[in-house]
Parts: sequence; structure tokens; C-alpha cells
Amino acid sequence: MLTAPTPEQIQTAVHDKIRLVLAEHGKEVGPLSDADKLNATLGLDSLDLATLVAELEAELGVDPFAKLVSITSVRSVGDLVQAYKQALYPELQPQRQDDHAIAAALDRARERRARRER
Amino acid sequence: MSQSRKVALVSGGSRGLGAQLISGFLDRCYGVATFSRTKTAFITETLLRREQVDFHWGEVDGRDHEALRTFVKEVGELLGRVDVLVNNAGIASEGVLPTMRPKDIVDAVEVNLTTALVLAQACSRLMLRQGAGCIINISSVHAVRGHSGVAVYSATKAALDGFTRSLARELGPRQIRVNSVAPGYFDSEMTEGMPNEQKQRISRRTPLRRLARIDEVASAVHFLASDQASFITGQTLVVDGGISC
Repeated sequence: MLTAPTPEQIQTAVHDKIRLVLAEHGKEVGPLSDADKLNATLGLDSLDLATLVAELEAELGVDPFAKLVSITSVRSVGDLVQAYKQALYPELQPQRQDDHAIAAALDRARERRARRER
Repeated sequence: MSQSRKVALVSGGSRGLGAQLISGFLDRCYGVATFSRTKTAFITETLLRREQVDFHWGEVDGRDHEALRTFVKEVGELLGRVDVLVNNAGIASEGVLPTMRPKDIVDAVEVNLTTALVLAQACSRLMLRQGAGCIINISSVHAVRGHSGVAVYSATKAALDGFTRSLARELGPRQIRVNSVAPGYFDSEMTEGMPNEQKQRISRRTPLRRLARIDEVASAVHFLASDQASFITGQTLVVDGGISC
């Protein structure tokens, strides 16, 4: 891909590569949805996911799991699409709810530490 | 990814065993890639003799992980695939542990182990896409038997053998084989400075009564890379004239 893919093209690329990996196991699937679980619904294992990441790196030119996102946080098709969108369009990403939760937990920990030190 | 000719990537290919491995792979009609910090006479000569589609060399420091990843991508694009990775780059690290310089310990782990892990990770991605591949780690007889004065070197090589076994289980389902070759002492630049007395002592203790020739070690690697070894994975093939048996 010579120019940066649009968010729609990212989704299409992810869906196509999932189908490609499933086809290697002789599986065919209908339309994919964001809620489809990669393992529970589609039956992809960790090596399938690794193959998928390698294929997508060749297609989209990025690997979001090298630095940005942990591969273990990816459960669904939507998570995977989101990881690539985040890697290619960091400015478009709204702050995630769990980022707020982590920040709040860190604040509470800081307060506890401060109380102990007092 | 398709292309019928096989491609081998050999680390530490600018001299010694690496150069021997490269010549052997080229003779077997593989496309071959290697890298080093500087061009040696072997590299210059091979570049002159071979087409770029047969042999690719990159100026890369093996301790630069990002450069290693870029080099693997470059090889994938230029030669079309990577069928065989030989993790051969290594440095000898001698001296008793209590007085070793900490920097030498870190360097040995970096060059002998971390470089191999980074290359295996990058190449395994191409191999997953290809649905096949072969990784060979050059270990050492020191990984199998303890010897005084090489504790750090032994640690890095034994770690490679552990890596071999676990990675073989991990990647086996995708037809990627992973093996180690553990040479004993062989005639190379690494043993060039060894006193003759020590060489004679090693020969006396070796059931075959001599050091290995470099081509005898290379043959074991070429065998494991070949289809003749298609059902061998997760193994360490010791090539030491019997010194560890």
C-alpha cells in the first residue's frame, strides 16, 4: 500500500487477512463484526494471531504490537481493527475509558502512599 | 509469498564458519543474505562473483535491533523470502567469571543470545507467512559440558539450546523446524590464537583424536537445513568428535 490507508481500508485489510488465515485451516466465514471474538468465535490461536500480525505488517506497514499495544489485550475483531487505527491515526483516537480507570487507580495509589508517609 | 528458490540468512557470515556456510548454501543454489559491521575480503569477493539476486550483504551492527529487523525486511523484499535462518554470529568470551569485565559479560549475552532472538523473531514472521521454515542456532559443546574459563560463553550457548527446544514446540505446528548445532573445537579464527599444547590436549581427549575441520561443522548445518532433516526439530546436534560423550 503506497499511501496511508483510510480507516475503512484498515478495517477491510484486517477482515481480509482474518479470512485468509481462516482459509488456511479450510474455514470460511460470512461477514465479520467487531464483536466477533478471535479465539472463542473464530477459533484463531496464538500462532494464527502471529501470522495475522505478520500479514498485516506487510500490508499496512505497521506493527502496533511492537510498542503501542499489548497483543494480550486483543480479544475481538474490533480490538484488532482499533489497534491498527490507533497505530496509523493516533490523533483520531478518543481517550479510552480504561485509560481513565488506570489514571484514577494511580491517583488513589499516590494518595495512599502520601498518607503512609505522613 | 512465492518463489521456488530457497533463501538462507546467515548471521556472522563475513568469515569463519559463517563464510563456510554461505559458500555451501550458494553451492546448493540458495539465495543467501548476511550482514556485518564491515566488509571482509570474503564478502567483497562474493559480492563480485555473485549476482545481487543470489547474494545480499548489509552493513549492520548485530547489536542494533532495529537495524536487524530492517535488514530482515530488506532480505524478504530483495530475495523474496527467508527459508533458513542460521544464528551463527558469536563472540568468544574467556576468563574466569569473578574477574571478567561486566561489559564483556553484557556483550557476550547481547551478541551470542539477544541478536539470535531478535533475528529469529523477525524471520519467524516471514516463515509464518510462508507456512514453512528452518532456524538453526549455532551452539557449542560448552553448552553441553562445563569447562573452566568459559562460564559466560556456556551460559549464552546453553540459553540458545533452551530457546531451540521451546521455539521448536512453538513453531512446529506451522512446519517451522528449529535445531541447534553444537560444535566442539574446530580450526577457525576463534581457535587461531589457541596455544598448540592446548590444541593437542583437546585432540588427545577427543575420541576421534583431532579437532574438527570447519567443513565438518558446516555439513551438519547444511544437513539440518535440507529436506533430509524434514522430521528433525527441537534437537541439538553435537559435532565434537565425541569429546562430550
